[in-house]
Amino acid sequence: MLQIDKVNLTLGGHEILRDVSANIGSGEFVCVVGPSGCGKTTMLRLLAGLYQPSAGSVTYRGQRMLHPRQDIAIVFQDYGKALLPWRTAHGNVALAFEAMGAPREGRDDKIEQLLVKVGLGGQGKKYPNQLSGGMQQRLQIARCLAQSPAVLLMDEPFGALDAMTRQGLQDEVLSIVRDTGATAFFVTHDLEEAIYLGDRVIGMLPHPGRVAITVDVNLPYPRNQLTTREDPEFLRLRRQLFDFIKDAES
Amino acid sequence: MKVERLLWLGASVLVFAGFIYLWQLICDYRWVSPVFLPGPDRAWQALMRGMTQGDLLVRWIATIERMIYGWLLASLAGICLGAVIGSSERARAYIGPTLELMRPLPASAVVPLAIALLGLSETMVLAVIAFGGLWPMLLATVHGFSAVEPRLYEVSRALGLSRTAVIFKIALPSSMPDILAGMRLSLTVALILAVIGEMLASRDGLGSHIMLAARAFRSPDLFAGVILLGVTGLMSAMLLGWFESWMLRWRESR
Ligand SMILES: Nc1ncnc2c1ncn2[C@@H]1O[C@H](COP(=O)(O)OP(=O)(O)OP(=O)(O)O)[C@@H](O)[C@H]1O
Ligand SMILES: [Mg+2]
Repeated sequence: MLQIDKVNLTLGGHEILRDVSANIGSGEFVCVVGPSGCGKTTMLRLLAGLYQPSAGSVTYRGQRMLHPRQDIAIVFQDYGKALLPWRTAHGNVALAFEAMGAPREGRDDKIEQLLVKVGLGGQGKKYPNQLSGGMQQRLQIARCLAQSPAVLLMDEPFGALDAMTRQGLQDEVLSIVRDTGATAFFVTHDLEEAIYLGDRVIGMLPHPGRVAITVDVNLPYPRNQLTTREDPEFLRLRRQLFDFIKDAES
Repeated sequence: MKVERLLWLGASVLVFAGFIYLWQLICDYRWVSPVFLPGPDRAWQALMRGMTQGDLLVRWIATIERMIYGWLLASLAGICLGAVIGSSERARAYIGPTLELMRPLPASAVVPLAIALLGLSETMVLAVIAFGGLWPMLLATVHGFSAVEPRLYEVSRALGLSRTAVIFKIALPSSMPDILAGMRLSLTVALILAVIGEMLASRDGLGSHIMLAARAFRSPDLFAGVILLGVTGLMSAMLLGWFESWMLRWRESR
């Protein structure tokens, strides 16, 4: 569905990505890991249509990605900056509907349903600065869901959250993605998170950024925070990726 | 919190009363000649007399109208121009230096030019007020628009917001704190210039009232005018303050 084909990207005279190829199938959950500065965010921005490749191509359903699209939603890492502080939680989700020109009637109900879905039921009247970090990230996810996206691009969405909140949100994202049948591209530097969520994990290396390893994850669904993480296959994958990162750093 | 605010309010009222009392003392003991400084009692009498019998009320309203029209003109022009300049890096680079050159010009310096172009007319006074009030507005808006979080522009692109929607739903509300601060400054400037304009062009208003009273050595009338100016400044600042905290209610709520 989403295809990156032999992409090179040079920004400000620096070669940031070299010969990156990846193919993301419909409904697939792909995670990307790699050391800081290896170009994970850059790859996500290419898929979002926020950057254009210097060479090679990025295509979506066979068409070149020339600009961002409404059916591809982006969850940014810095949720604090991605929300409109002057709009309530309700208003922030409404922005997506306003952009789509969706009819006004029934909108409020839809928004409330989305808020309930991400666990923010009844919090619609609060402003972002009245919400905790985890709640703000949930709100951003709700706004993305309002786009009814076919693809969800997520850039370290839980990076700034504590472990408990993080695990809760991982399960929520998994179930949302499965319910909606969306395709997901998830950047993280947490190996376990990548294996836990993904159908496939892509490992990248820096200088210049490139895809160095691709690992298929054959863990059963639904995934479970306890049993999945103790599964021998999980441990084997974790070891494999860990060795990969360690080799990369040495 | 509530108690603390009440205490502050009480303290400021006390200070104000003390000031009036001191004023009265100075006059009672004739430390300053009553020709120049009338006591609060006489100033108050003049104020009441002017309001009920004379045309002080009409003049006061005329000044307030001038101030508000000039200020609204300045705000509108400042926001529109500022939005254009602030949202384009190139426009900022090209127009920025010119703005910096024009900004320190005191608005009174353009009065002769305005008189030459527009005569001693109402339009001239409005033009001077609007010109003076424009700068704080313009600079504040440019700053607001250039400081919009870039991430929000990316969010708008991903959501597929139209260009106009980005201006009205993202850039403008995001610049609102700056714009309101600019409007506050600009309002003060507008009051000052309304008075100066009235004095220079002898348009009927508090400015001309004060000047005529001064020429005729009617110091109570002069002070009545000054008191009304003070009240105008205070009231407009308070109204704007309420408007501001209502507009920016998303900030403090916690
Ligand atoms: N706009 C840009 N202009 C020039 N260089 C850039 C730009 N954006 C990113 N880079 C560089 O590209 C490299 C990859 O950046 P990127 O943000 O994609 O890394 P990342 O893998 O997401 O890192 P992290 O895990 O720290 O988020 C970095 O060396 C960065 O300095
Ligand atoms: Mg990154």
